[in-house]
Amino acid sequence: MSTWDNIKKGILYFLLILLAVTCLIPFLLMMVNATRSGSEIVSSFTLIPSTHLKENWETVFSYFNLFKGMFNSVLVAVPATLLCAYFSSLTAYALAMYKFKGSKVLFYTILVFMMIPGQLSLIGFYNLCTSLHLVNSYIPLIIPAIASPGTVFFLRQYVLSTLPPELIEAARIDGASEVYSFHRIVIPIMSPGIATMSIGCFIGNWNSYLLPMIILNKNEKFTLPVMMATLKASTDINANQGAIYLAVAISVIPIIIVFCFCSKYIIGSISAGSVKG
Amino acid sequence: MKTRKMMAMLLAGTMAVSMASVGITASAEGYEGESLVIWTLANDLIDFGDRFAEAYGVEVETVVIEPANYPTKIQTALLAGESEPDIIVAEPQMLGSFYDAGFFADLDQFGAQDYADQIVDYVWQAGQSSDGVQRAISYQITPAGIYYRRDIAQEVFGTEDPDEIAELFADYDTILETAQTLKDAGYRIFASDAEMNYFSGDEAWVVDDALNVAQSRYDYMDLCIALYQNDLTAYANQWSTPWYQAMAGEVPILTADIQNYSDDSVNVWDSESFAEATADYETTEVFAFGLPSWGVLTMRDNVGETSGLWGVCAGPSYGFGGGTFIGISSQSKKQELAWEFVKFCTLNEETAEWWIEYSEGDAVSLISVLEAHADDENEVYGGQHLNELWLELAEGIDYSLVTSYDTAIGDAWGSAISSIKTGEMSKEDAISNFYDTIEATYPELTITRE
Repeated sequence: MSTWDNIKKGILYFLLILLAVTCLIPFLLMMVNATRSGSEIVSSFTLIPSTHLKENWETVFSYFNLFKGMFNSVLVAVPATLLCAYFSSLTAYALAMYKFKGSKVLFYTILVFMMIPGQLSLIGFYNLCTSLHLVNSYIPLIIPAIASPGTVFFLRQYVLSTLPPELIEAARIDGASEVYSFHRIVIPIMSPGIATMSIGCFIGNWNSYLLPMIILNKNEKFTLPVMMATLKASTDINANQGAIYLAVAISVIPIIIVFCFCSKYIIGSISAGSVKG
Repeated sequence: MKTRKMMAMLLAGTMAVSMASVGITASAEGYEGESLVIWTLANDLIDFGDRFAEAYGVEVETVVIEPANYPTKIQTALLAGESEPDIIVAEPQMLGSFYDAGFFADLDQFGAQDYADQIVDYVWQAGQSSDGVQRAISYQITPAGIYYRRDIAQEVFGTEDPDEIAELFADYDTILETAQTLKDAGYRIFASDAEMNYFSGDEAWVVDDALNVAQSRYDYMDLCIALYQNDLTAYANQWSTPWYQAMAGEVPILTADIQNYSDDSVNVWDSESFAEATADYETTEVFAFGLPSWGVLTMRDNVGETSGLWGVCAGPSYGFGGGTFIGISSQSKKQELAWEFVKFCTLNEETAEWWIEYSEGDAVSLISVLEAHADDENEVYGGQHLNELWLELAEGIDYSLVTSYDTAIGDAWGSAISSIKTGEMSKEDAISNFYDTIEATYPELTITRE
């Protein structure tokens, strides 16, 4: 290896390390701030942990039970992610593989609906939930995940690029039913795409604030972001800063776990399945 | 707990009656077992709710919603016909739109007007919609006052008496003179130039559907510009690190460029790098802050070693800021019980007494209790009788000057002031720009340009 290669490598590593540090510092800062008091946080910036972790912990739990909120969020985010992943891949596969009348129109309709912001229909949606007696239930937060145009769009493109139609034809010739071949052949091939979208979907549901805030009216049903926002209702603006950081720091743990799990899965499934040659 | 239950039951009566009723075991007007749902934006009502539940034997569920999204939550739910919240609250700037949308039930049907004399006047009026119907009541008052350093006053002006210091803030010209005197003595009058903002509303922004830019508005503008351009403040922004530091004593004197961020050599939001960057700066001590009565608590937490050296006096005019108003949702099915709750929070002397102690110095709106506590001494403020002063300042507030346009017009005027003081725009341009903004925002207002 020449010295020039070493220098290039050195620069590359330096830049990568710099990038990693830039990405990690906010997390570190969050954890450090979780140990500091509100007045310390407003008055300075440091990476040295302070001694107020216990007080912040007590503040958080004097407002609500963080773990109950976490449990509620899991109750919403996991089913919503599963539904979103399964039904979106079903739709995407159909739109990509089957030629039928109106498939283009359907696809473009889905595209158009991607553009409408959900906040617009908030009052109407609440009205609907009231008449269906679904206010204060998780159903309005979970079921709509079935229809997620963005995921369908992404997965359709993914199917088109990775799934050769011959594979399905071969399965048909061997006597596999359409549903069987979807479950046994298509899903494994699509899984990297599905995993990627699932991470996004899970994080989106986990962090979702506006809709749960509107739909849920009972303290014990609040999801994590709604619960954490109540820390801002303190009389003194600064007093709860440390507690907010602590709550956020704890609340990202599941996201990190899901991310680790899924990213491993993505790498694992790239080499699996599909035909060779 | 029977005592409390009785007191609550007889809250319409006098304290004497409730004291005598210890031991009676009848249920509190038959509400036992019922439940009440409160949607609020401040934690205070959790404690009020718990006390009410205990006193009435009812179940109270208090749901706290983040203040920024509270109006969205209320609007969505109530417009969709939600009957769940029995009690809803509002801050002053939300009151107008909540009245217009009909979210608050009429309190007069429960005889609210019988209590009109018991609550500080401006709070009572703020709780009325434009048709004069009582719809909400607040348990606190938030009159603005000037918090000043007694030791500096003694040194520079030879007196620390609140009445005499108030003279130094009597009008904008006098404030400028005071500011100059303090600067000559090595101090600064304010940390920021926005300290008089709470006092700038002594004339209404809108009169008979016409924009009214009164002379006092121009005077306020000139004051801010003069404070800024003549180096009379410490150039700290409100709520930034040096602003809080100024409460505890010495602060470096920043420059105008640092305050408006065109010079970024000093990070005003970080105390360590701030201390380093300003080590060579000349330091000063700040004389006064202008804050509403809840500033008592902000100051208490930040004054550090200057605790006990502070005093509070009246400003150049009357003003107020903030406060939580409690009302009944017009769609509630338990309005009678909800009215008991509103009375319990705002009109019950025992609750008010408890709140003064529990909040460690909030000023309540119930006149009788404020008067009873007029002689309470607050040690942070050199043992001053603050409640007496707050009552006096609150009685001077003329709520008829408040309009629903105030926030938007005030902000536009504020941005005109900052662009003039920093030299970004000439006075004519900035004012004409202000008129343009108001014209575009409120086409319904008659605007006469001067």
